[in-house]
Amino acid sequence: MIMLWINMAVALAVAVAMALMLSRLFAGPTLYDRVLATNSFGTKTILLLLVYGVLTGESAVTDIALLYALINFVATIAILKFFRYRSLEIALAQMSLRRAIGGGDDE
Amino acid sequence: MIDMIVTDPTLLIEYTLMAMLLAVGVAIVRLRDLFAVVMLLGVYSLLSAAWFVSLDALDVGFTEAAVGAGISTLLLLAAMLLTARSAEPVSAIRHWSAFAVALAGGAALFYAIGDMPAFGDPDAPANAYVGLQYLERTQADIGVPNVVTAVLASYRGFDTLGEVVVIFAAGLGVMLLLGMGGRKPRKDGEGEE
Amino acid sequence: MTPDALLSLALNAVSVALLAAGVVFVLAGAIGVLRLPDFYTRLHAAGVTDTLGAELIVIGLMFQTGWSLATAKLALAGFLIFLTSPTATHAVANAAHRAGLKPLLSRHQPAHPRLRAELEAAKKSEAENTIEAIETADKAGKPVRTGKGRAS
Repeated sequence: MIMLWINMAVALAVAVAMALMLSRLFAGPTLYDRVLATNSFGTKTILLLLVYGVLTGESAVTDIALLYALINFVATIAILKFFRYRSLEIALAQMSLRRAIGGGDDE
Repeated sequence: MIDMIVTDPTLLIEYTLMAMLLAVGVAIVRLRDLFAVVMLLGVYSLLSAAWFVSLDALDVGFTEAAVGAGISTLLLLAAMLLTARSAEPVSAIRHWSAFAVALAGGAALFYAIGDMPAFGDPDAPANAYVGLQYLERTQADIGVPNVVTAVLASYRGFDTLGEVVVIFAAGLGVMLLLGMGGRKPRKDGEGEE
Repeated sequence: MTPDALLSLALNAVSVALLAAGVVFVLAGAIGVLRLPDFYTRLHAAGVTDTLGAELIVIGLMFQTGWSLATAKLALAGFLIFLTSPTATHAVANAAHRAGLKPLLSRHQPAHPRLRAELEAAKKSEAENTIEAIETADKAGKPVRTGKGRAS
């Protein structure tokens, strides 16, 4: 019983950390701050789910946490890839230019 | 309230998640910067998936995690990059009329709750006719403990296969149209017609 | 006290200690992200504590589940966090650096004019990396800045 309450306290502390991350996500100011806050928020959601899974004894919750761990990483990397170009338009234009002239100096 | 939390401590987590969902929703409506809104929408689906899990809807949480947090964030980001980076100011009338519509829809849903059978009621229509048949037969027919999985992957397996093929074709079409991935950059003076 | 009860008590004690340490790290990191003055210091707060705090909590939970499938899944999750969290932090730092985001070196006003100019430049580069700034630059038809350290 006491372990249940300790796990509850851990889950709530992680939730508080999530709320703090949210306020950084609201505030910004640069887009990298927001990406960082989103990534960190994702890690904390994984933690919350893991604690919740142990708390309720349902190990299927851990599967969702695993899925998150993978998707969170992929999403962060993909967002940063998009922002390497600052705009998809430019990335696409460069790509089609490269295609048209059959070679290119991009990258 | 306190008694409920003592008997079911996970309620506290549910309330925390709901409060955060509300805060994120208000922020999505209020913010002008569309990049921040896209990030917040990703966080919103992350939060709602965690909330679904805390409501014992594991399969919905799984789908929300994969689709909402992963793919839709990227699609929204691509759409934002192709269009505008910040939202146009919306007039107060449109804001409040949208709020009124949402409020009316929510009130109608709450009104409809009264007609719903109690949660887990054995006499409810969902548990009585065909549902009961599936619940009784699945173990003998297929032997998979999860009935939802048995229905999706076995009873209507061809249907699911068709859906997967359609989604795959759609994704392939989008990739071909947008040219995502592209070709490997070739060196100059090589492969020129 | 039977040996079994003693073992379970010891496991729980270790678990509580690890969980407490993890919570301290996670909360410290979150407060750091909220309070520190510029992007790179926030990154430092988030990246380091996220990995360590998360690992401590996961290991603490593993002490509670005993030898079971849940423990294996927790170990896998901990391994994934251990791999992806530092990588993602590095990718964010790398992207910000390549985009030309300058670290804020000092908060006070330096007496030397060159240092003051550097401070102004750092503040300007922070302001330039908001979406609105990029948007107005695009509208003005300026070429998109892709940073100096860009690979070619």
